[in-house]
Amino acid sequence: MPQEEEHFSAHQSLAIIESMIQKAQNRFSENGTLYLLWGWVIFICCTFHYTLLTITQNQIWGNIWALTIVAVLYQFYFLFKKNKKKAVRTYTDDIISGVWSCFGIVMGIASFIMYKLGSWSLLYSFILLFYGIPTFLSGIIMRFKPLIIGGICCWILSIISVFVQTKEILLLLAPAVLSAWIIPGYLLKAKYNQQNG
Amino acid sequence: MFKELDPILHSQLRLAVMSLLISVKEAEFTFIREKTNATAGNLSVQVQKLKDAGYIDVVKQFKDNYPQTTCKITEAGISAFEAYVKALQEYLKV
Repeated sequence: MPQEEEHFSAHQSLAIIESMIQKAQNRFSENGTLYLLWGWVIFICCTFHYTLLTITQNQIWGNIWALTIVAVLYQFYFLFKKNKKKAVRTYTDDIISGVWSCFGIVMGIASFIMYKLGSWSLLYSFILLFYGIPTFLSGIIMRFKPLIIGGICCWILSIISVFVQTKEILLLLAPAVLSAWIIPGYLLKAKYNQQNG
Repeated sequence: MFKELDPILHSQLRLAVMSLLISVKEAEFTFIREKTNATAGNLSVQVQKLKDAGYIDVVKQFKDNYPQTTCKITEAGISAFEAYVKALQEYLKV
């Protein structure tokens, strides 16, 4: 950028504006870490839960889901570190953060309602339904198709879950997180690494 | 030729800074310097001029014992930028 102030044309002005807006928007700050973290945690929990429940018939294996608490703690640590390093804050970052916060709150309230009303059979259908919302919206906001497709996959699996009211319903979570978080997570990571050399 | 254009914005570096800040919520001085390829000294002077005009807010604080300067466009800055772009469009008849 030339440092002296000189006369420049209207075309040059527009070129500067265009170039700077592009530079600000071309940043891809999402490296997929949290998508991969949650994708793998849920994948491990649901497959372990189903396998051990099938083998032992013991409900105690449902405690494997406590692993999500560890994931939540790691997520707080990760976000704290990331925000400390951040040199720029975009509107997109704020909107995506808001969308995922809504998802977390809705999941918490829905789990509480279903626990209180004893409608656990509905839980997995709603989990799959809710997984799709932030995933689809993040895909739209970031203009990243794999997340959009992942969100749609969750909704399809949510409809399928209505017809799978056995313990096999647990297994529907695996393709959901695979399509919504694990595959897009690796693709986001690759895109981020490519952009940041 | 450009008499109708805001003289505060009609400077290559100040216009670049404003174009960056209109696209983000807030940015650190280091980010702006990297994107504009300006020297720290020149950028400081231009940032101060934008601040004096009321077009940006500048917050100076310490982060991990290092000074950190964060810039954010103000409502007045957004209006001035929009007026500048409109004047450019009229001039170019876009």
